[in-house]
Amino acid sequence: MRTTDVLPPLGLGIGWRPEIAGLVADLPGLRFCEVIAESLRHDGVLPEPLDALRRRGVTVVPHGTRLSLGGAEPLDPDRVRHFASVAAALEAPLVSEHVAFVRAGGLEAGHLLPVPRTREALRVLARNVRTLRAELDAPLALEPIAALFDWPDDELTEADFLTELLDQTGTWLLLDVANCYANARNRGTDPAELLDRLPLERVAYVHVAGGDEHGGIYHDTHTAPTPEPVLALVRELCARHRPPALMLERDGRYPPAAQLHAELDAIASAAGLPRITTGVSNTTLAGTP
Amino acid sequence: MTAEPAGRSAGVHPRGGHVTKPTLASRQAALVAALVAGAPVPQGFDERLVGVAEQALRRKRAGQVAAVWPHLAASLGDSWTDHFSRWARGRPTKGGLRDGWDMARELALLGELPPLGVAELAMREVTVRYDGRTAPRPRRCPALRVVPGGVVLGVFGRAYRLGG
Repeated sequence: MRTTDVLPPLGLGIGWRPEIAGLVADLPGLRFCEVIAESLRHDGVLPEPLDALRRRGVTVVPHGTRLSLGGAEPLDPDRVRHFASVAAALEAPLVSEHVAFVRAGGLEAGHLLPVPRTREALRVLARNVRTLRAELDAPLALEPIAALFDWPDDELTEADFLTELLDQTGTWLLLDVANCYANARNRGTDPAELLDRLPLERVAYVHVAGGDEHGGIYHDTHTAPTPEPVLALVRELCARHRPPALMLERDGRYPPAAQLHAELDAIASAAGLPRITTGVSNTTLAGTP
Repeated sequence: MTAEPAGRSAGVHPRGGHVTKPTLASRQAALVAALVAGAPVPQGFDERLVGVAEQALRRKRAGQVAAVWPHLAASLGDSWTDHFSRWARGRPTKGGLRDGWDMARELALLGELPPLGVAELAMREVTVRYDGRTAPRPRRCPALRVVPGGVVLGVFGRAYRLGG
């Protein structure tokens, strides 16, 4: 393990969802998964299949989607308390949320929305991250989102904005290569160039997923298999700096187990990691570069 | 930074009357209103792309509502997503349960709710009270609804279909 990483090398994981709990439980090599924080109960009682994974030593990272860390309005204390209680119940070594806002002016957007890449937005994010971290024992990783549009007054490049955010807040980067691909494809830029400019040594873990195209725009829906260009980006990333953990996100239109296994194997292969779908003992899953 | 052109969300000072630079909070509110409540796209944003996002949000909601109202969604078949998306334009979400409920009631009033949807709406209405404005609450008294070919009876929180 590189002493600078926030997680030990955990290899390939998957987003735990109730719909695929059986499939996830049956992955013999699994050592890492993520759960949507808002899907867990307030009283800290975990779904039994998730708790079973935890008991067998699988690291479970809670992933917040509704805290609205990029929102100019103050954080909702109830949501912060819930997030912290979930992290405590999971004994999570790390938690994650997004560089985004999800509500404003009393309306829920229903999705993650981009913040302007400005100094003002950095101040807002830093304030909200401070509020959140005061309630947390675990370190925090922040995930840049797939944005369908940008703000008109961006002052900083994406890489500069994120680097400054991580520096100011002492957080880690949750890098979603599918988001990098979606943004680059929709903006007509090269996703590998972003990898060159991000502080890859601060990547806590990585999301991998597939999406759909509608009317010439690529949407990061997590409802389709990971496309080849995203696997190529996994290869590019791992050639530069392999993160301690990567994971597949799937959020609907769940395929048969054989297809999901094949997708997991393809990601493991792209990342140069052992497969988690076959009966490998956990101890052989070193994953250290 | 020098003053920038004021957006549509620019604040006019309530007393002074002079235009101030809009805050991030007001600009975020204007953007969300454009995305979920049919408000105009704030100045400076790419109208086409914000429109794409607005449509994507309605498609995503269609999936969420279908998860709570599977028979309503199935009753409209392949046109469910388009149908719901049209209905949801300019209507901020009240959550999947209430969105589906509001839509089902509207279709029922128009006589356009297919039988599967009629049955699902009836099963809900006999066990849960929903006034269309506030969060639905469990019914305490038994309730009955006529559906094609029979009736649906709700008692002690459970719905039973009789006849048909």
